[in-house]
Amino acid sequence: MAAQPKTLEYEYPNYLQDPRGIWSWLTTIDHKRIAILYGVSALFFMMVGGLEAMLIRAQLMVPNNHLIGAAIYNELFTMHGTTMIFLVVMPLELGFFANFMIPLHIGARDVAFPRLNALSYWVFIAGAIFLHLGLVRSLAGMPDAGWFGYANLTERMYSPGINIDTWVLGLLILGVSTLLSGLNFFVTIVNMRAPGMTFMRMPMFMWAMLVTTILILLAFPALTVGLVFLFADRFLDTHFYRVSAGATPILWQHLFWIFGHPEVYIMALPAFGIISEVITPFSRKPLFGYPMMAYSLVLIAFLSYGVWGHHMFATGMGPIADSTFAITTMLIAIPTGIKIFSWIATVWGGRLRFTTAMLFTLGFIVEFTAGGLSGVMHASPPVDLQQTDSYIVVAHFHYVLFGGMMMGILAGFYYWWPKITGRMLNETIGKWQFWITLWAFNGTFFPMHFLGVLGMPRRIYTYAPNMGWDFWNYFESINAFILGFAFLLFFINLVWSTLHGEHSSADPWDGRTLEWSIPSPPPAFNFVTIPMVTARDAFWVRKYGSVGAHGVAPAISGGAAAAPVGAPAEVHEHIHMPAPSIYPLIFGLGLFMAALGCMIWIRLILIGGALILMSILGMVFEYPTFGQFNPEALAESTLGLDNRKLGMWAFLGSECVFFASLISTYMVYKDRNLGGFDAMILNIPLTSFSTFILLTSSLLMVLALAAVQRDDRKWGAIWLFGTAFFGMIFLGGQAYEFTDFVLQGLKIQTNLFGQTFYTLVGFHGIHVLIGVCWLLVLAFTTAAGKIGKDRSLAVEIGGLYWHFVDIVWVVIFTLIYLMRTVKHA
Amino acid sequence: MSDHAIKNPHIEAHAVAHEEHPGPGVYLLVAAILTVLTAAEITVFYVPGLQPVLVPILLVLAAVKFAFVAGFYMHLYYDSKVFTIFFGFPLLLALLIVLGLLLLFAHLQGVLSFTIP
Ligand code: HEM
Ligand SMILES: [Cu+2]
Repeated sequence: MAAQPKTLEYEYPNYLQDPRGIWSWLTTIDHKRIAILYGVSALFFMMVGGLEAMLIRAQLMVPNNHLIGAAIYNELFTMHGTTMIFLVVMPLELGFFANFMIPLHIGARDVAFPRLNALSYWVFIAGAIFLHLGLVRSLAGMPDAGWFGYANLTERMYSPGINIDTWVLGLLILGVSTLLSGLNFFVTIVNMRAPGMTFMRMPMFMWAMLVTTILILLAFPALTVGLVFLFADRFLDTHFYRVSAGATPILWQHLFWIFGHPEVYIMALPAFGIISEVITPFSRKPLFGYPMMAYSLVLIAFLSYGVWGHHMFATGMGPIADSTFAITTMLIAIPTGIKIFSWIATVWGGRLRFTTAMLFTLGFIVEFTAGGLSGVMHASPPVDLQQTDSYIVVAHFHYVLFGGMMMGILAGFYYWWPKITGRMLNETIGKWQFWITLWAFNGTFFPMHFLGVLGMPRRIYTYAPNMGWDFWNYFESINAFILGFAFLLFFINLVWSTLHGEHSSADPWDGRTLEWSIPSPPPAFNFVTIPMVTARDAFWVRKYGSVGAHGVAPAISGGAAAAPVGAPAEVHEHIHMPAPSIYPLIFGLGLFMAALGCMIWIRLILIGGALILMSILGMVFEYPTFGQFNPEALAESTLGLDNRKLGMWAFLGSECVFFASLISTYMVYKDRNLGGFDAMILNIPLTSFSTFILLTSSLLMVLALAAVQRDDRKWGAIWLFGTAFFGMIFLGGQAYEFTDFVLQGLKIQTNLFGQTFYTLVGFHGIHVLIGVCWLLVLAFTTAAGKIGKDRSLAVEIGGLYWHFVDIVWVVIFTLIYLMRTVKHA
Repeated sequence: MSDHAIKNPHIEAHAVAHEEHPGPGVYLLVAAILTVLTAAEITVFYVPGLQPVLVPILLVLAAVKFAFVAGFYMHLYYDSKVFTIFFGFPLLLALLIVLGLLLLFAHLQGVLSFTIP
């Protein structure tokens, strides 16, 4: 690395230097600091999940081993899987890399909603701790039903302890965190790109994250609904997954895998993105087939919603469904193949530099392909029936998750660590780590293919000596320990290099993307002047002109001569970064307490709820600019649209999947009802009245908006109060309806009709309740004269939510009430 | 964040043209239509002769109401098409999920079965 001029580097304090102190970290809303928080937490859980894996392998090392009992073994693989997925891979990819890099890649100062970003982190921590609450009681309290927690093993009668309670609630909390991050990053990438940064000029990592966030928004709601049912079964004694009441545990499998397969891509696509970034500077070539790379991401995402059944071939879905899911699954191999060939073509003929980051990238390509190929094998139903639940599946998904995702993450660490910390990671240790990992990874997981074919089932804590499994298990365990050693090297490297490593220049790899144009580590506001983007590989073109954009670039090392575009120091004064906030942390705490309340002390829910409410109100009124129309930000936004409004619409899109899951459950369970009350109990005159009430409230809502938009605060307030009032009448009608049913004897536990009806209509009611509270806040603020034309956006966004609740009711009124005699299945 | 001089003229024009929301007149008209449609729904429910075609009629009526609220009260008709895409795609996906689950469960219950010839 040639010595490079330090242009901007010390003109401003970097994001780590200013401000200082614990409090500044607890209240930070800087995406880079939040990324650090995520990174440190996830690295900690990487050690935890890794140690769990070591224990699993120690137990399986020899036959008839009794090092760890069966019960603890169950907890180990469950927590290992859950931890690796939700507490290591996702937070590293989304919370750490994406959080840090999205604004830098697209030329922005922060994400769209900085406080929401902090909130996601604190909620994540709440969920992560919650998952481990079982440790407080005893070792036998951890979740133990596998990472996909199949019903009805998870029911109270089969899992009476707190094991599954912490798992359900922990995952629900983590879901909130992920959903909000997804929303935040989605709006950021769509609407906060620097001028000239068209979609087709974005770095490939941004494409990957754009698609990933869409997957998050549209997949997590299904998991939430599945978990809510499980929660109800465990805490309210309903029967969503109980065969005795006519229900079927298969419902859980559907809801879980409607989420679960997209989840695989939520983990995979960011890693695809990372290695697409790493591969170009070290090949000194632009990414091959950029448009196809982008489109194939989109295609993968789209197809990934239609393949969930490949996890369920063994449940007997029938030949039509089996074939459909088999075909869609095999189709995904096409866009994936396009990506693999494009990476190979990028490397082909390039001037390669085998840095550690590049080595891990190449490792990714090889190992991920191996995992993908065994995946195509499982796509064939008759073949899968032989393989499912055997070690060959464990081999497959570790090739994908470890050989793919984990290698991608490691590549990202070696590539971006200099930008994040200002210090280079040690390349010598890095290369040792890579080669040991490569060997030991294959040594651990490749023989699992053999064991699977030899019939060794997954999730068994020990095995008899005469099965022919001894040698490979022994071999795998030894290699697993070597793999653990490679991670030890990694952690040593991280710590040592951060303290003593070589200082990094702004652009140590001669990079192509914008993050390399600013100092390492960057200042809090990232860019002194928002860059103007004229081409793909924006920074490369700035350094070398458009010649460099095509073909192999000249072999000059270090492009920093043209690097950071300096600017007069007084510019600094004009950059307004949002102020820190403690409310996100309070929100996380509140959610944690509310969830804990479900388990130990019901009143804690109220305290938690109060904290949540307080933090929401706090965040709303914290800035004097709440709800304000901001023409400057609007002019600078990519689409000329307001972030808050885009965010609301994206959220409503996500809600569609939430209600779709509830509605389908109602419909498929309606006909499985084992007698007793059914839809004939529904009171059509009453709900017809409620329907008119809700429609009227929607009218008042738009009148309120029209009034506020012409700055008529008085009528604005009146209409808003009116809307809230009608909302309350609706709620009153619902309270009457529910009480009436309960008095007649229909409780949520009574039968399948009762539970699906109460959850669907009840969740709609909760939405109405939230809407009414929101409306009242708006109404009072307007009455106080605070909301006029300049803040009409606040009313508009509240209105979007309110109308959405109305259209959901349109659907419910038709499907549940008016079509009550119709059989669905 | 007011310090970058380069502005995209296209975007600026866009921002100015933005936000042409309809007035109370349109809103009242939509409210009247929604009321009529809802009344129609309830009527259909109670007329015995219409029972055989209950499902298609109700589904169409609900879809029309849905479209009116989304299009006018939520301004999708007037606002940027981006919002329509943001909402329309998830809606489509949600419909497909409902449809898929209905079919899969119909099979599970033996209502829908196929034999391999
Ligand atoms: C040192 C590296 C690792 C080793 C030695 C290891 C080992 C294992 C073993 C032996 C099992 C099977 C346990 C059983 O079925 O009885 C397992 C399960 C699993 N592993 Fe790993 N693993 C490692 C890393 C990872 C990583 C990086 C991920 C994900 C990113 C991961 C995700 C999973 C998942 C999801 C399961 C399934 C858990 C379940 O059955 O519910 N593992 N691991
Ligand atoms: Cu899958």
